[in-house]
Amino acid sequence: MQRRTFLQQLGALGLLGACPAILPQHLAAAPSMVSVKQLPKLKGELTLYLGRGEGGLYENVLDAIKKRNPDFDLKIRRGPTAALANAIVAEAQANVRRAEVFWAVDSGAIGLLTDKGLAQPLPEDLTSQLRPEFRFPNWAPVTGRIRTLAYNTERLKASDIPDSILALAESDLSIAWAPAYASFQSFVTAMRLLIGEQKTINWLKAMNKRAKKYAGELGVVLAAERGEVDLGLANHYYTLRLKSGKPDATVDLAFTNNDAGCLVNASGIVALKQSDTAINFIRYLLTTEVQSYLASEAYEIPLIGDLAPPAGLPALQTISPPKVDLTQLANLRPTLNMMRKAGVL
Amino acid sequence: MQKVFSQVKSVIGTFSLIAILSSGMVSAGGEVGDHVNHLSDNLNKYSEEVSWLIKKVDGIVTRYELDGIKAANAKAVIDHWEAVDFHAAIESNYVPVYALIWQGLYGVKESIDNNSGKEAVRAEQRKLEQVLWQALGAVKLAAQFQDRGLLQKVALREGGPTNSLETIDEIQARLNRVVAKFAEKLNKESIDIVHDTYLSLFEGIEGDLISMNAELVEQLEKDFNVTLPLGLKRNSSVKQIQDIVNDMQKKLSIAKELLAKKESNKKEVF
Repeated sequence: MQRRTFLQQLGALGLLGACPAILPQHLAAAPSMVSVKQLPKLKGELTLYLGRGEGGLYENVLDAIKKRNPDFDLKIRRGPTAALANAIVAEAQANVRRAEVFWAVDSGAIGLLTDKGLAQPLPEDLTSQLRPEFRFPNWAPVTGRIRTLAYNTERLKASDIPDSILALAESDLSIAWAPAYASFQSFVTAMRLLIGEQKTINWLKAMNKRAKKYAGELGVVLAAERGEVDLGLANHYYTLRLKSGKPDATVDLAFTNNDAGCLVNASGIVALKQSDTAINFIRYLLTTEVQSYLASEAYEIPLIGDLAPPAGLPALQTISPPKVDLTQLANLRPTLNMMRKAGVL
Repeated sequence: MQKVFSQVKSVIGTFSLIAILSSGMVSAGGEVGDHVNHLSDNLNKYSEEVSWLIKKVDGIVTRYELDGIKAANAKAVIDHWEAVDFHAAIESNYVPVYALIWQGLYGVKESIDNNSGKEAVRAEQRKLEQVLWQALGAVKLAAQFQDRGLLQKVALREGGPTNSLETIDEIQARLNRVVAKFAEKLNKESIDIVHDTYLSLFEGIEGDLISMNAELVEQLEKDFNVTLPLGLKRNSSVKQIQDIVNDMQKKLSIAKELLAKKESNKKEVF
């Protein structure tokens, strides 16, 4: 398969369903799912540090958990994900453990805590609810997002788009990107881990000659849709949301093949204290109900069982993301140095 | 005074009834004091400060007339303003007037620094006095609302919105601060606020919004990333910046209505 595009993926879905043998090995069969009805009631007090993101949708989930558990007293501290991760590390160094659970919008921040030995082990019956490639001993991914190429359908055909992120730099396509954006930096970090610093710097330099900068990735997708550029590098949900509000939007999704260009990153949760309440709270986030809610409302990718991806996105099994230890994405400093060296930041 | 009162009344129409300071705010003169949450108790002090300030500015203008630019030391106009608590009271309650005060302060300072004619300097002084009285009227009005519990408490510490509607409130408050900082000639700070507001707040709600009104989000995207930053970088007037921000505030109010509608019909998680 030379070209991977959104429509092609949809077309391939049935074929792949009939031929499981051609699925990537690391995307194995889906585990079983747990409903909220099977979970014990939450009781007592729990302090959650919540990374800001996704508007009020995470808050809606928390409100629903509180409503379902009247004897549960959830105390929440909110802030930017990176700032909260740093606060947790600082508190630990001062021998203070205020946070019992940390829900971060990106896995890089979790990596900071696992590296410092602050993350508590999670029971296997919990982690086994996740798809095999998202099982970690001391943190749980909650939902996923995938890097995509959002392209203007009036300027490009799917077959015009390279299926390699490296090849994009050698193409004559005009490109939008948002280098200051956290998800973009995680993607560059993944590229650095996968192909090394020098190749990544070369790619950044080559791309920098043709890429137009935007502040955020919705801006990137809008630029592609308006035809300011041929395509943009962005997380998948911006395109899906735009198409939801503007069904005739002239933008569609394409995916690269087995490189950082189709990295699947995740929001995640970590227990910072050993307690049944903390573990059971995490179980609530991995229920069919919460995962379905975040898929339908936030267009995020469910990571448990065989729940369908958000409308408009092919099943995760049909995409070939690279194998990257998501917690390693926390090491941003070398990435930022590289991006500065390449003149991107 | 009647004119001032009518101006204050007109302020009521657009008075947002919310304090506009955002988390961890630092005003031009340092940390915002808790006095802004007890306006009535401090009205006499504010009145005295306004009178004191007007007297000080008059002294500067008089020295200019008698002994020239150097003796006037026009920079002291800004120093005196930053020394009074009143500036935090007006900044936290009615940014349009706060911005006008800064315009008035710089009007006096620059007319002296530019060696303008005496009449021109006095004209700037009169404009400043008028807007200071107008500001005092606005703070008195805010004190009444505060006493009746209609004014949101000014946040002096890190908090953060807990839902998309609160996020819009926070964005609107920060945009008001952009105008305030621009009026203080803190252009870089005002641009930083725009970028931070976009990345840390607007980014979080635009996903929801774009599925309801893509055109509105496209316009706000352009406002945040092009129109407003360019206006701040160029030699715009405070009024031009205020106009851009007013336009964004209207769009954000529409956005808030959409989000509120969605909130009332929101899908249940369980």
